[in-house]
Amino acid sequence: MELSQNQQESEKPITISISIPTNAYFMSGIRDFTFSLIKNMTQFSEQWAYRFQAVVDELSNNAIEHGSKKDEHITIIFTAEPQKSIQIAVEDTGTGPEKLNAEQMKKLVAERSQPGYPFTEIRGRGLAKIVAAWTDELKFEDLPNGGLRVSVKKLLKQEANAATQGQQRAQASFEKQDPTHVVLS
Amino acid sequence: MAQATITVEDVATQAAGKTVKLVKFAGQLDESNVDDKAKEIYAIIESVPQGLFLIFDFSELEYMNSKSIGYLTDWYTKLTERQGSIIIAQAKPNILDILQVVGLTQLIKSVGTLEEAKAAVAQ
Repeated sequence: MELSQNQQESEKPITISISIPTNAYFMSGIRDFTFSLIKNMTQFSEQWAYRFQAVVDELSNNAIEHGSKKDEHITIIFTAEPQKSIQIAVEDTGTGPEKLNAEQMKKLVAERSQPGYPFTEIRGRGLAKIVAAWTDELKFEDLPNGGLRVSVKKLLKQEANAATQGQQRAQASFEKQDPTHVVLS
Repeated sequence: MAQATITVEDVATQAAGKTVKLVKFAGQLDESNVDDKAKEIYAIIESVPQGLFLIFDFSELEYMNSKSIGYLTDWYTKLTERQGSIIIAQAKPNILDILQVVGLTQLIKSVGTLEEAKAAVAQ
C-alpha cells in the first residue's frame, strides 16, 4: 500500500503502534512489516528499508531479552513524518533480569561506540554498532511504569535525494553486488 | 519463527594441510534460531583440529542479526587460531551492508563467487 498524494503532502505524522509478546518468535513478522512500511509509506530507499529492519530487530530483541519478563508485551511505535523523518520507539516493561535504566544505557552505548572497543562476547554489537550507525538520534527514557523507552530517529534529508534524484544510481550500486564495496545513498 | 538452514559439503583441494568445506546458509538468522544454528558450525569447527577453511555461501541468506555477527566473529577467531579461516561468498547487498557497518568486512574476506572463494583458499 502506498500513501496517496494528499497523505504524502500532509505534514501530519502517521503513527502505528504494535504490541507483541516477549518472544523472539514474532520478530520475523515485525521485520517484514518494517520493510513494507519503510518501502511503501516513506520516501526512504530500499537499502534503508533493509537497515530499519535491523534497527527494529535489535531494539526489540533488547527489550525482550533484557528489559522484560516472559509472557509480557513490548510495544513498537513507528512514526513517519512525510518528507521529514521516520521515528521508531520500543518500550519494555522494566521487569527483565538484566534491566538497565536510561542513564546506564547511555553510558553503555557511549562506551561501546568508542573506536577500537574490544567486543569479546557474542552479544553487544546491536545498539552501538548497528542502531547508532544507521540513525541520527538515539534516545533512552525511563518510563513511569519502570520500563525503558529506546527511540531512534532518521531524518530524510539526504535520503530524500536518493529516493528521487539519486535513487537509480544508489540502486544500481546496491544491485551491483560488489562484495567489498557497498555504496551508501 | 524465522527459518534457517545450514548445509555442508566437502570441497576437494590439493592444498597440503588444508580441509575445505562449503557451508551454505539459507533463510534468516535471528534471535529465535541463531543459538541452535551456531551449534552446527561449532561442531564442524571441533571436528577438524587444524587447517579448516570454511567457505560461507551466503547467496540464500536473507537476514542476520547482531548476535549471528557475534558468532561469525567467534568462529573466525577460533579457526584462525588453528591456521584456518572463513571466506564469505555471494552475500546479498543487505548482508554485506550489515557486515560492513560492524566492521567485519575488514576482518573476513568476502568475494562475489564460489570460484573466487575456492581460489582464495587454495593460495
